[in-house]
Amino acid sequence: MPELRKDPVLGRWIIISKERRKRPTDFLVEVVPGSGGFCPLCPGNESFTPHEVYAVRNKGAVSNTSQWQIRVVPNKYPALIIEGDLGKEGLGLYDRMNGIGAHEVIIESPQHDKNFADFSIEKMALVFKAYQERIVDLSKDQRFKYVMVFKNHGKAAGASLEHSHSQLIALPILPRMIVSELAGAKSHYNYKERCIFCDIIRQEIQFKERVVCQNDKFITITPFAPRTPFEMWILPKRHSSAYFSQSDADILALAEIFSESLRRLCGCIANVPYNFVLHTEPLRSGGLEYYHWHFEIVPKLTSIAGFEWGTGFYINPLPPEEAAGYLRESLENTSGGIHDEQDIAG
Amino acid sequence: MNKILLVDDEESIQIVYREEFEDEGYQVISALDGASGLEKFKTEQPDLVILDIQMPGMNGVEVLRQMKMLKPSIPVILSSAYQEFKRDLGTWASDEYVVKSGNLDELKATVAKLLKKG
Repeated sequence: MPELRKDPVLGRWIIISKERRKRPTDFLVEVVPGSGGFCPLCPGNESFTPHEVYAVRNKGAVSNTSQWQIRVVPNKYPALIIEGDLGKEGLGLYDRMNGIGAHEVIIESPQHDKNFADFSIEKMALVFKAYQERIVDLSKDQRFKYVMVFKNHGKAAGASLEHSHSQLIALPILPRMIVSELAGAKSHYNYKERCIFCDIIRQEIQFKERVVCQNDKFITITPFAPRTPFEMWILPKRHSSAYFSQSDADILALAEIFSESLRRLCGCIANVPYNFVLHTEPLRSGGLEYYHWHFEIVPKLTSIAGFEWGTGFYINPLPPEEAAGYLRESLENTSGGIHDEQDIAG
Repeated sequence: MNKILLVDDEESIQIVYREEFEDEGYQVISALDGASGLEKFKTEQPDLVILDIQMPGMNGVEVLRQMKMLKPSIPVILSSAYQEFKRDLGTWASDEYVVKSGNLDELKATVAKLLKKG
């Protein structure tokens, strides 16, 4: 019989369809060959991008030249523009404002064919550090309320260029998903005076069955009510609502577990397309006791069709307990195995 | 006389653009799809390309990346009726992106600017 599960934060129901249960080998991933040709993100083509707003460069290298490890550039054809006032107004019962915002692209590597999952720990940490630096910088702009960081990997997940990159959008409003997440977390906190994500981490460590991997500072789980097969959440064990406030040591530990989690995922399904999104507190919140920053990695293995659009219910053919089992087994012969049970810190 | 290659699968667009740009003193050559556009790019050696995005077969973003690989300095204007293609970062290989409209003033000004720069 199918099982309905409710996400404890969002209150979102999903359907675990055990009749349609699948194994990793049942998911057919279409391998789309690279289209080749000129790449505007490659070294040497810096003149095709707007001037960088952040970069990690080789020592002595000049801005906007080719000696770089990471570049962050504004979107060449932005949907939102950085200059201007919000111009908020009401039109009868409708609200409108000017399309003010920042849309940036984080070019994660000078190497065109290097996949994010194959980055070294140190390289991945540089990318996570770049997210931090840009969030801190954009938070100074009082017009922006939220910075959304996300990555699309693979054509099916919406990536239009093979060259590894992620994106960042600073918004003058809070996205509805974050509003719902904050409200759900606040509601739990009002009732129990505890962060719901800290409670989730404690329970998952105790139950073990949905834990994919963990290190001293972070844990990766398959959530109780995942939207897709192999959905993973990466959470800091110590309570923190603000991604930008992580230390360099935290960022390195994040890179370690992120790398391991992605390698486990790719070990289950080669060439898997996925999206990941950073969930963090709104800008200038000052630290929230009831909210907990985290990354959500969502593989693109099922399609959103009429049923999902019409009902808002996702149908997932793989129970997260089984997905976690496959993920735990996928790197059996490597050193990146599961650590012993550890208590949540802080 | 500067030579413009126009790649667009809409014949009516071809007729209008050819008339307008020839009146401006340009030589206009044209292709109705991406593959033949690439061929004419190689044989005709244009000074600038105006490229539609949504075409049967090879789309304009793919054509753009092939053209830029052959000759990175060639000015290319992507011209589409749709804003949403801007979300494809492959469009970054273009020099300008002009949304199609019945008024060609913006497109003409962009062509003049890029040819002057070149």
